[in-house]
Amino acid sequence: MTPAPKANLLVIDDEEQIVRLVRYTLEADGMKVFEASTGTVGLLEAASLQPDAIILDLGLPDLDGIEVLRRLREWTKVPVLVLTVRDSENDTITAFDVGADDYLTKPFRSRELLVRTRAILRRAHVPEGPSVVRFGDVEMDLSARLVRRSGQEVHLTAKEYAMLSLLVRHRGKVITHRQILHDLWGPGAEQKSHYLRTYMIRLRQKLEADPGEPRFLLTESGIGYRLLE
Amino acid sequence: MDEALANADAGRSPAPATPVAQRERSPDAAVPQPGKLLVAIAANSFSAALVQTAARLAEAFHLPWIAAYVKTSWPLAPDERRCLDESLALARKLGAEIMVTRDDDVAAAILRLGQEQKVTQLLVGRARGDRRIPWLRGAPLSDRLLEMADRFEIHVMPTEPAPAWKPRSRFDTAPRSTWGEYALALGVLAVVTGGGLLLPESHYMSVGLVYLLAVIALSLQVGRGPMLVTGILSALTWEYIFIPPHFAFAIYTGENLLLFITYFVVALIAGELTARIRAQAQNERLREVRATAMFQFTRALAEAKTLDEAASAGLRQIDDLFGAQATLALADESGAQLSPQFAGSFTPDASERKVADWVFQQQRPAGRGTAPYPASAGYYVPLLRENHAVGVLGVKLSPEETWRLNQLDILEAFARQLALIVEREHLRASSEREQLLAQSEKLHRTLLESVSHELRTPLAVITATSEELVEAGGQLPVARAAEIHRAAMRLNRLVGNLLTQTRLESGALQPRLDWCDARDLVNAAVANARQALGGHPLSIQVPRDMPLVRADFALTEQALTNLLLNAALHTKAGTPVSITAGYEPEPRRIFFAVADRGPGFHPSMRERLFKKFARGEGAHAGGLGLGLAIVHGFITAQAGEVIVDENPGGGARILLYLPYAVPENPPPE
Repeated sequence: MTPAPKANLLVIDDEEQIVRLVRYTLEADGMKVFEASTGTVGLLEAASLQPDAIILDLGLPDLDGIEVLRRLREWTKVPVLVLTVRDSENDTITAFDVGADDYLTKPFRSRELLVRTRAILRRAHVPEGPSVVRFGDVEMDLSARLVRRSGQEVHLTAKEYAMLSLLVRHRGKVITHRQILHDLWGPGAEQKSHYLRTYMIRLRQKLEADPGEPRFLLTESGIGYRLLE
Repeated sequence: MDEALANADAGRSPAPATPVAQRERSPDAAVPQPGKLLVAIAANSFSAALVQTAARLAEAFHLPWIAAYVKTSWPLAPDERRCLDESLALARKLGAEIMVTRDDDVAAAILRLGQEQKVTQLLVGRARGDRRIPWLRGAPLSDRLLEMADRFEIHVMPTEPAPAWKPRSRFDTAPRSTWGEYALALGVLAVVTGGGLLLPESHYMSVGLVYLLAVIALSLQVGRGPMLVTGILSALTWEYIFIPPHFAFAIYTGENLLLFITYFVVALIAGELTARIRAQAQNERLREVRATAMFQFTRALAEAKTLDEAASAGLRQIDDLFGAQATLALADESGAQLSPQFAGSFTPDASERKVADWVFQQQRPAGRGTAPYPASAGYYVPLLRENHAVGVLGVKLSPEETWRLNQLDILEAFARQLALIVEREHLRASSEREQLLAQSEKLHRTLLESVSHELRTPLAVITATSEELVEAGGQLPVARAAEIHRAAMRLNRLVGNLLTQTRLESGALQPRLDWCDARDLVNAAVANARQALGGHPLSIQVPRDMPLVRADFALTEQALTNLLLNAALHTKAGTPVSITAGYEPEPRRIFFAVADRGPGFHPSMRERLFKKFARGEGAHAGGLGLGLAIVHGFITAQAGEVIVDENPGGGARILLYLPYAVPENPPPE
C-alpha cells in the first residue's frame, strides 16, 4: 500500500485555506502539490504540469467546476477528486457522470483526504485489472464469470452478475445510479432506481455477511454505489 | 340505546316490495308512471312562450309532452289563426305530440284529453285581467281546471311578464293628488247642499250642523288647502242659500250672525286641528322610516366583516331606502385626494367626479339643486372624521324626483356612520401593521441573538484553544486539541441547519422522490451521527422484508440524522438510543422511529417542538432549536408526517411516517 513516490498533484481551488490544508496533508505524505486558484489557470497548469492527479473544487470563481472537469476529460484520463459541499448532490452526480473519480464533501477530515487521494493515484497505476478479484470472503473470477463465497460457488443471475462486475471493474470508485441503470437496462431506464435497489438488496443478501450493514457493497447517499477495495 | 334504535330502524326500512309492483299494474292508479305533460294552447300571441316553457318543463321532468288545442265554435280571426299555426309548428319542432279536439267547454276537453293520455303534468296560461271580469268571459281556464282536475299537477303561467318593481322612495307619503282632494271636497259640499235643499226652509240650522259634520269628516281625508277652501265655501254657501233671506249674502238677525260666525270659526279650527293631527301622524311615520332606515343601516354596517362588505351593504341600504343609486369613493393613500375609484350602483362621469372632489376638499355637501353645482345629477356628502374627509358618498335620484330636507338629513347621518366605519378600518389596519412589525422585529432580535450566541460559542473555543496551541509551540494535550474539533463540528452542524432552514423557507426545496432502501437510509444517518453518538449504545432494527421507500434520499437521511443527533445531544452519555424502520399495514405506511431512554419531552413542549428556535426547557446549550423544525419541514415536504410521543418504557420517541408505495418489479431475466 505504498503511494506512488513523488506524485505530482494539482489543486484547483480559490480558497487559500483549503489549498493550504491540502498542501500540508499531502506534502506530509511525500507528494508534491501545485495550486491554481481559477478554473482557467487550472486547465493550463493541468496541460503543462501533467499532474498524476487533480483535486478540483466544484465552486470556482470563474468557471463552473463541472465545466473544468468536462474540458479536462476531453484530452486526459488523469484521476480527479472533486470537493463539494452538502446539499449539492446534483452537482456531485453530474461530476461523476462527466468523469470524476471520487468526491469529498466539505468540511472533510484530512485523514479522509489522504486516503482518497492515495486511492485514486493507486487505481490510475493499476494495470488493466486482474481477472480474479477478492473482497471479504468473496472471490470473483471475471474471465471465468464465476463468483465464489468461502469457496462455494454463488449463483448470480445475468443482471446481478453484470451489476457486480461493473462495480468490481471500477472498484473503489463511485458508480452513479444513472450509470448502472444505463449500463444494465439501457437508455431510458435511468429513472428506474427501484431496479437498482432491488438488485443491490439481492446482491448483498448473497455476498455480504450482514446484508443490513454491508461492508463492501456500499451506498453513497443519494449518488450511487461503490465497491470497497 | 342507539343500537336499539338503529335496529328498530333497520327492521322497518326494507319496504315491502309488492305494493309498488301492484301500484304499477293497477288500472285505477291515480298517478301512472311515467306520465306525460300536456300544454293547453290558445290562439293568441302568448302561445309560443307557453310552448317554450312546456318544452323546458318536459325536459326537466323527463316526460314526453303533448301540445293540445281545443277548437270552439267561435271562428278565429286571421291573426289568431296565424298565432295558432305558429305555436303548433313550434311545438312539433320542440318534440311535442300535437292534439286538436273540438269542444265548446275547453276545460272539460282538456281534462278528457288528459285522462285519455295519462297526463300527470298540465301547463296552462292565464291571461292578465281574466280575473277581473269573470262574468264577461267565464272563469279563466286555469281556475276551472284547478277546480275540476284533482289528478294532475297544474302549472299556471302568467301570460305577460310581471312589470318590474319600480324603485320607490320610502319617503313618499302623499299618494293622492291635491286636485283629487279639491274635487272630493267640492263633491261632498255639493251633495250636502243638494240634500239641504230638500229640507224645509226652517231647518237651516240642521243643515249648518250637517255642513259642519261634512267639513270635519273631510278633514280626515284631505289636506290643509282643500280644508280651508271647504271651510270658507261651506260657510258662504250655507249663508247664501240657507240662512234667511235665502239666496242673498245678508244676515238680519243677531242670532243668525252669531251662528254664521261660530260655524265659520268652528269649521276653520276643526280643519286646522285635523290637519295638524295628520301632519303629526305623517311626521311620526317619517320618523319611523328614518329610525328604521338608520337601524337597518347601522346593522348592515355592523354585520359586515370588511370595509368592502360594509360599504356595499351600506350602499344597498341607501339604494333601497331612497329608490336611488348610491356610490362611494374613499380618500386615496395620501388622504389628501379623493380616489377616482367609485364603487356602487352608479359610476360618476368626469363632471360628477369634479363635484365629488369639491365636496371632498370643501368638506360640505353639494350637488343637485344646491350651489355651486345645481345642475349635477348626484348629490354628494362628505364622510367626515374629526377635521378631515375620508371619502364621499354620492346619491343619484331619478330625474323627476327632488330631494326633501329630511332625506338630506338622513343621508348625512348615513355618511357619518360610513365615516366611522372607514375610520375604524383605518385604525385597525394601522394597528395590525404595527403589531406585525413589532412581532417581526422581536423575532429578528431573538434570532440574531441566538444565532450570534450559537456561532460565537464554538468560535470562542476554537480561537482560544488554537491560539494556545500556537503559543505552546504545538505542545498541547490531545484532549485540548479535541476541543477544537468538537467546536468545529458543532459549528458545521449549525451552519448546515441554518442553510437548510433558509432553503426550506425560501420554498426552494423540491423533494426528488426516488426509491430508497430503508436500510441504506438508516445506515447513512447512523454514519453521519456516529461521532455524536459515541457514548450511546445504539440499536438498529430494520425488518428483512422491509419494502422500498419512496422518498427523497438526502432529505430523509438528513431528517434521521437530525433525530439521532437530537437524541445524542439531549440525553446523558450512556443513554441507549434506537432507530427502527418498518411498515404499518393499516393504514399502509412506512415509518422510521428514533427513540431514547432520556427524560422525554415535556408535554407542554410538544406543541412547539417543530417551531423554529424552540428549544427544550433546560436543554443543553448547543443548538438553535432548528433540528426538529427541519425534520418536520423535510418530512412534510414529502407528504409525510412527524409524530412525537413517549418511548414505551420511558424516554422520547419521534416517528416519521412516509406514504407507502409499491414499485414496479424489475423485468424478468
